[in-house]
Amino acid sequence: MRSRLASVAAVVMALLTTTAMAQTKDTLTIDLQNDAATLDPHLQWNTDSYTVYRNIFDNLLTRDASGKIVPQIATEWTYDNDTTITFKIRDDVTFQDGSKLTADDVAFSINRIIDPELKSPQLSQFNQIQTAEVVDPTTVKVTTKSAYPALLAQLVKLSIVPKAYVEKVGDQEFNLNPMGSGPYKLVEWKKGIETDLEAFPEYWRGEPPFQKVVFRAVPDVSTRIADLKTGKADLIRDVPPDQAASIESDSNTQLLTGETERVGYLYINAEAGPTKDVRVRQAIAYAIDKQGIVDALLEGYGRAVNVVGAEPIFGYDPDVEGYDYDPEKAAELIKEAGAEGATLEFLTSPSYPRALVEAIQQMLSDVGLKVDISSSDQATFLKRRQGDAENAGSLAFGAWSCACQDADGIIYPLFRSGSIWAKYKNEKFDALVDEARTILDENKRKELYKQAYEILREDVPGIGLYQVFALYGAAKNLEWTPSANESMFVMDMSWKQ
Amino acid sequence: MINYAVQRFIQAIIAIVGVLTIVFVVMHLSGDPTLLLVPQDASAEMIAELRSQLGFDRPIYVQYLDYIYGLTHLDFGMSVVQRVPALDIVASRLPYTIQLAAGALLVAIGVGIPAGIIMATMRGSVIERILTAIVVTGQSVPTFLSGILLIFVFGVTLRWLPTSGAGELSAMIMPSIALGALSMSTFARMTRIAIIDELSKDYVRAGRARGLSLGQVVFRHVLRNASIPVITIAALEIGNLLAGAVIIETVFAWPGIGQLAIQSIQSRDFLVVQVIVLLISFVYVLTSVLADLVYVFVDPRIRLVR
Repeated sequence: MRSRLASVAAVVMALLTTTAMAQTKDTLTIDLQNDAATLDPHLQWNTDSYTVYRNIFDNLLTRDASGKIVPQIATEWTYDNDTTITFKIRDDVTFQDGSKLTADDVAFSINRIIDPELKSPQLSQFNQIQTAEVVDPTTVKVTTKSAYPALLAQLVKLSIVPKAYVEKVGDQEFNLNPMGSGPYKLVEWKKGIETDLEAFPEYWRGEPPFQKVVFRAVPDVSTRIADLKTGKADLIRDVPPDQAASIESDSNTQLLTGETERVGYLYINAEAGPTKDVRVRQAIAYAIDKQGIVDALLEGYGRAVNVVGAEPIFGYDPDVEGYDYDPEKAAELIKEAGAEGATLEFLTSPSYPRALVEAIQQMLSDVGLKVDISSSDQATFLKRRQGDAENAGSLAFGAWSCACQDADGIIYPLFRSGSIWAKYKNEKFDALVDEARTILDENKRKELYKQAYEILREDVPGIGLYQVFALYGAAKNLEWTPSANESMFVMDMSWKQ
Repeated sequence: MINYAVQRFIQAIIAIVGVLTIVFVVMHLSGDPTLLLVPQDASAEMIAELRSQLGFDRPIYVQYLDYIYGLTHLDFGMSVVQRVPALDIVASRLPYTIQLAAGALLVAIGVGIPAGIIMATMRGSVIERILTAIVVTGQSVPTFLSGILLIFVFGVTLRWLPTSGAGELSAMIMPSIALGALSMSTFARMTRIAIIDELSKDYVRAGRARGLSLGQVVFRHVLRNASIPVITIAALEIGNLLAGAVIIETVFAWPGIGQLAIQSIQSRDFLVVQVIVLLISFVYVLTSVLADLVYVFVDPRIRLVR
């Protein structure tokens, strides 16, 4: 009796697993923290939203595996002069409704996102663009307000939307029922729950790798990991380093890592409080054991850096000398500055790893500084961190990526005086980064950023801690190489043969 | 009776408007969504521009009056994050929360009340001790922990139940148990106390003296008399279930309004939060009115006056 039961159970199990296997063959399920906020690619720019909608749309330009900007909808581009650039557009691309993608749609997409009427939160990424004009059906001319070297890097983020369709259905309906020229079309958007996509068989780059793709909203990381281990999900992102081993050791799952352009950094207020004294800031730089943080808290999934930058970022210079871990020197500098026992306020929010904040607190208290941690919700944190220097705390941790792989996207917003994040002013630094964002000569730009990094090294308005390695948990048979800018294009994934 | 209804209605309106106003003021004072919406490299001018486009640069009383004016026209406003009417967003999530609350209430009442009856009538027995242990566990294990434990045991290790999401009926089992556990304990304890209290009364002794068994006395007379405090608790527990759903829905990726509330508060999506607050306060008021009406039904001595 017992053996018969066991064999029945075995058959049932076998049936269950085969159906499960059959399902994973044509459906890829990805667990995200939240559902997309909008599917109109010109509205919200947050990770969960663009992870979904960038599979429905194509971009004007994209990056290859090495991070180089390469053609997508545009085939080539030439600078007519410093402020005018002409793009040639592919003529073999159709939208999912069968209509042809032309220069009209490209110009419309650019002009739409910079139109104040749309109230797009992404406007700041494109506001250097004056206008886009159609020259002929395969040519678009883009004019910028001034010479703007980051233009191409920004256009990597521009999705091309169909002019006729958007104008026909209106903005609100377009957000709910988006239609693009990308590899996947929307089947159903269960808002806040999941987004179901289906392959667009006539896609111009070839047939998409999966019949169906489902993005689910699973807020809790432990639950996402449970989903992955039970096969309910095939891919999850933002695996905490301490969970990496359990994903690696499971026979059904694998850990994928991507060395990103994201930099974990410590902001130091150079305009108010005890850290106004440069010696205190330098002491903090000496007091932090970056390698220790990488080894102990990140389980090795990161790389200590010398400045606020990392290898994939244009303008990053590995030769600029960083600060070595030297607590004695730190204690000396603090004594010299008369700041022994001074209290530093460390702003943070639940979005940042608490253990890291406490580790830094400990390292600083070891060299004679007292650190108070003020934790608030993200909105309040941002309000203080981006507000008046007097009220912006002394320290805060952040992990920065502009998804543009250019120093202009990181040290300019973080340290250029007048920027909301900068609590620091050095006219020489300002002049260097200002110049670097308005010239196109790459070697000259590199030289300017090297000088800018050297000033930051002296002034320490912030410390680069480590280059972030993105950790993904994936089903064993998923083939995919994560990229430096943390994008998730389903087109680049496939099942292993 | 009509007098009573009118009075309760007025009280309810005052309570709901009060709650809405407090939430409105607190949410607005603690920062608006603009900072969370813009890409991190946005300049101060860009942020100011978006803020003004979204209307958050207006004085708070103007925004408030604007909001109340909309409410009187049954216009609950648009979500600034999702660009969809706030009411639609909440309405699409409500069925899930109702499902989960029903499942949890089923666990709470279906297990809690029988457990309470047994604990009251079989005092000192082994069964009572076992039940007491279960009740104490339900009461003291925080829901986020019991949720994760359930997922780990029944989802990942045994693979009996789905680890997350809604859809299949089996997906409801774990969240209902995790959410219902605390209420189950409350029901068990209240039922036990109410019955023990009743059992010491004269009518019970009289009934037993006339030859009724303990079971007969309990089921024919005691339960009805013991039900008043239990009904009061039930009304409160429905509110607690909504509150507890915030955590459980997050752990189980259950797409109800609890999860939505957390997301909307974090992203400062004011108008969605306001609709949720309106809904929850409405449910609180409604359940307490219903409880009053049920009292009258259960105990004819109670009159709704004033």
